[in-house]
Amino acid sequence: MLMIKLNTVTKKYGSFAAVNNVSFSVETGEYFALLGPNGAGKTTIVKMLLDFTQPTSGSLSINSIPSTQAASRTAIGYMAENHRIPPHLSGWQYLQRCAELLNISRSDATDQCRRIVRQIGMEGRENSKARTYSRGMIQRFGMGAALLGNPKLLLLDEPTSGLDPIGIREIRQLLESLKDQGMTIFLNSHLLSEVEKICDNAAIINQGKLLVKDNIAALIKNGDTLEDVFVRLVKG
Amino acid sequence: MSETRSSIIRIAKYTIVDQVRQKSFIMMFVICALFILLVRNCSQGGFIVNGQTLDDDAVIRVMLKAVFHMIAAGTMLLAGLLSMRVFKRDREEGMQSCILSKPITRWQYVAGKILGLWVLSVVFMFILHSVVFIMISIHLKVVSPEYLMASLLSSFNLFFVVVAVLLFSLLMPDIIAFLCVMGIGIVSFVAEGIVAASQSQLGQAMLQQSGSASDVSRWKVIYYLWPKLSGIQQVASSLISREGFHGFLSIYPFINILIYCLILGALLFWRFRHEDII
Repeated sequence: MLMIKLNTVTKKYGSFAAVNNVSFSVETGEYFALLGPNGAGKTTIVKMLLDFTQPTSGSLSINSIPSTQAASRTAIGYMAENHRIPPHLSGWQYLQRCAELLNISRSDATDQCRRIVRQIGMEGRENSKARTYSRGMIQRFGMGAALLGNPKLLLLDEPTSGLDPIGIREIRQLLESLKDQGMTIFLNSHLLSEVEKICDNAAIINQGKLLVKDNIAALIKNGDTLEDVFVRLVKG
Repeated sequence: MSETRSSIIRIAKYTIVDQVRQKSFIMMFVICALFILLVRNCSQGGFIVNGQTLDDDAVIRVMLKAVFHMIAAGTMLLAGLLSMRVFKRDREEGMQSCILSKPITRWQYVAGKILGLWVLSVVFMFILHSVVFIMISIHLKVVSPEYLMASLLSSFNLFFVVVAVLLFSLLMPDIIAFLCVMGIGIVSFVAEGIVAASQSQLGQAMLQQSGSASDVSRWKVIYYLWPKLSGIQQVASSLISREGFHGFLSIYPFINILIYCLILGALLFWRFRHEDII
């Protein structure tokens, strides 16, 4: 069953095509990575999936529901690149707000928040104000907020941005542990070594055009790394 | 339907909680508290001018009206100040993308923002008016429940200010949006004054002498079509002075503002629907 479907999607800003006639799909339960250099159009695709911006042409759907409908976002966890939290809120208050917005009952929300704070390794810091958090800590709470409500699909835009190597490893271990739960993951990342370890399939885009979409094992044949394949494809 | 309502109410609640801790809100609250402390001294009664004791009730009613207008104008200022940066702040702090990545529509988000800002402004104004009402009732043993009724009528204006500033803040820099709406309010009050003056005996005589009666009637059309913020204030304050309603003339400002709110509200929802969320 398809979780994400992009059908000949184009997004233009004036005459500049940020995304140019891109079509691909992601199956339910798949760990999928969208790779590309800066400005390739990765974040624009995520934004169109969330209906943050409308495509110039083409259509996108999540779980067979057009992305323009709010219902398509019912079971999505989203973490933005350079995630932000209102500075006057504590991490705990932020998670509670996110849980409320998902219509999770108060007692359930408290249980989930407690579990998630443990999962993201922020126990003991959850009641400090966000203004005292480092970039990495905010990313962790962003990750935590995305996990609330047991989503079927996680849209992660550079989730390891700002994290130290230990934090990156913890996020990777967390994502790997979610595999058993049948969650679908759509990951935008620059960290090709991490993608290689976590994801099943990947697509590479450059200048808004889809260059390749395949199984990672199929992409890295003949002893190449994903980085080698990426550089070869992007540099042409 | 209940989920839609609860989403709007939740966003309104977050808006109120986030706004109450803004510097502009705290500053306005302190200014208003000081102002009420000053008014407190005037409510003692026993006014003497040139050795003659004035009728306390009459003086207090005039004072009540003046205070009523000042509080309403101050709250309109506050509503404008709070509204002008709401979208920008939400965008910068990541709340906009956080909310809209959930199964919440854009119109629910905007409706929640409007509701939160309006409720906060109305409560703020009503509390200030209530404090004045209680002070006067205690000191002079004159109970004027019309005062509170008038306060509620003034809330129409706050709704207009909130919707207009929110819309304009999507089209132009925040401060310009705020100044534009305040400008609309000022023009409305000035026009009301000019029309009142032109209807006085002296004004009528001057107009007849200069022969510019037809020019005035053209301006009157604009006067009636302009947002009647001052009209609502006048109708509301007429309750305090117990002047009573004047038929359609009393209802017209409310119809005028309601139509403006509907048009501006529709434009706001339409404009926000096409905004890119960052």
